[in-house]
Amino acid sequence: MYCSLRTLALAFISLLSITNPTSVLAAEQSMADYHYVLHISDLDPSKQDLILNNAANLLEAYPPGQVDIEIVAYGPGLRLMFANNVNAQRLDSLAQSGVRFTACGNTLKGFTKQLGEEPKLNPVAKVVPGGIVRIGELVKQGYIYVKP
Amino acid sequence: MQGKKLFKRTVIGAVHAFALAGATGSALAANWLMLQGTEPAGASARANVWGYVQAKYEKDFSDPNAAGGFVAPKMLGPELDTQDGFNIPRATIGIRGTGFPLDSNINYFALLEMGNNGVTHPSGAFAKLIDASVTLNYIPGARIRAGLFKTPGAEEGLQAIHVFDYINFSEATNGLLLERFPNKGFTDCTGVTAPCNAATSNVGPYTEAQLQGGASLNTFDSSVGAFRDVGVQVFDAFNVGKDWELSYAAMIGNGNGVQFNNSDGEYDKYLYVSAEKKYGGQGINVAGLKFFAWSQWGKRLLDLTADSTANAKSYNRDRAGLGVKYMKKPFRVTAEYITADGMIWSGPDKPNFYFTAPAQGNGADAKASGWYVEGGWYIPNTKFELDVRFDTLNRLEERLNEHRFDKWTLGMQYHFNPKTRVTVNYEMRDFECTAAGAPCTNANANLQGVGDKVGVQLTMIY
Repeated sequence: MYCSLRTLALAFISLLSITNPTSVLAAEQSMADYHYVLHISDLDPSKQDLILNNAANLLEAYPPGQVDIEIVAYGPGLRLMFANNVNAQRLDSLAQSGVRFTACGNTLKGFTKQLGEEPKLNPVAKVVPGGIVRIGELVKQGYIYVKP
Repeated sequence: MQGKKLFKRTVIGAVHAFALAGATGSALAANWLMLQGTEPAGASARANVWGYVQAKYEKDFSDPNAAGGFVAPKMLGPELDTQDGFNIPRATIGIRGTGFPLDSNINYFALLEMGNNGVTHPSGAFAKLIDASVTLNYIPGARIRAGLFKTPGAEEGLQAIHVFDYINFSEATNGLLLERFPNKGFTDCTGVTAPCNAATSNVGPYTEAQLQGGASLNTFDSSVGAFRDVGVQVFDAFNVGKDWELSYAAMIGNGNGVQFNNSDGEYDKYLYVSAEKKYGGQGINVAGLKFFAWSQWGKRLLDLTADSTANAKSYNRDRAGLGVKYMKKPFRVTAEYITADGMIWSGPDKPNFYFTAPAQGNGADAKASGWYVEGGWYIPNTKFELDVRFDTLNRLEERLNEHRFDKWTLGMQYHFNPKTRVTVNYEMRDFECTAAGAPCTNANANLQGVGDKVGVQLTMIY
């Protein structure tokens, strides 16, 4: 009986992990000493390079596992996470190094309305209901907020 | 014809390479086709304003003929009325980007030329639109570019002029590819105060006094082609394997340069293919070893007779070439061979006679060829760059007036920063007749005094 309950609990936690990315992220962050949320919402393409450089520099500045980075994009800045973005390979590379990419669902809906179809996002990007809300949550958890 | 065969072989080879290697999707911008025809997906501005300014001083040391007369190659363009002076050959303002930033499938490119050069001077325009194109990126492997833009072709012409490493083009590029368009008819000097470039007389040679008095060696009434055309191009680039990039372009255009009309009703066709092994970097600064081949063919109308009757005849204008470029700092090496059949510009004479006058060798249906080899050394840990180029042009091949230009160009560049540099060139020019007998005693003897030229040019990109 005890084993069955434990199995059930583990299964429930696993299910939560799959369906609720926030829980996963919260679990991941606990291992690092430094936590950064990088915010992009600009149309200016140079900001895309800048924010990716910021992430790469942070990874380089700290020992492996010591820094936790999440890039949150909304508004025109969401273009960074489009599947065909010219920086897609850099996103893949940073994601493999542990950087998380979070896309704003509200922006995605707006873009879909304007384009007539939903833009394809880079597979490394995870969609949250609201980018601004996500930033608020992370800051509340103690993340250092940076908007290059 | 030899060039065409060579090009076809290269194209076939490239197609096989595509098939064998298995193209793996579109590459990022890394060559002139892509740099000028596309914007970075998902990362381009709605409107990116840019441009460049070039200011230069040049002095030509050529000697006049025995009567004190000068011809075009001994004078500084575009006016061709002096042997030394300052000029602003290029002053451009451009705008490029994507009109609707959420959609990377459509982008545009526009450039306005306000410098004093072969584009603006003949047409008498203060400013001339030299690029205005829209690219549609909807079909994988087949981007479509429409409008006015650089035609896929020779490296010197296709590359961005503001990063060109010399002040002047090689003779083959200048004489065979920077197209001069014949005037629509001959000049009627009836009632015109002398000097007038009469229908039956040469344009020049003119003495210094005649030039200062208003005589003009440049009597073209249309802008030079500027390596551009108005039409439609299908193109793309593909990553193949780990570090190779294959590119292709096929274009059809009016064949009338930066003029917007198609006055002869015929269309020019262009093909281009390149294969580049990439060593790193991106955009203009990509390091690599590029092999390229190209071909273009079309027709031109010429009025053959020195009268007021319009009786134009159609002539073929075919060009082809192939080359290689190695670029990995601190070294750069480029070599290209160019062949031409028809519409061989061969002054000094009237604009129509530049191509047609039988007495001068009839360039309208003649052949020509040329090549160049150039290299650069970016002196490590300095802002200096040394350049050297040898180029040759042999025109009116197997004709009475066959002749050849050889030119050595020694260059030095100082890069104040990546967008501002000064270029110093010293050109050692030599002319000789390659056919036996008469040629060097007729009008082309005017070229015997062609001498060295020195130039200093400041380029600023913004």
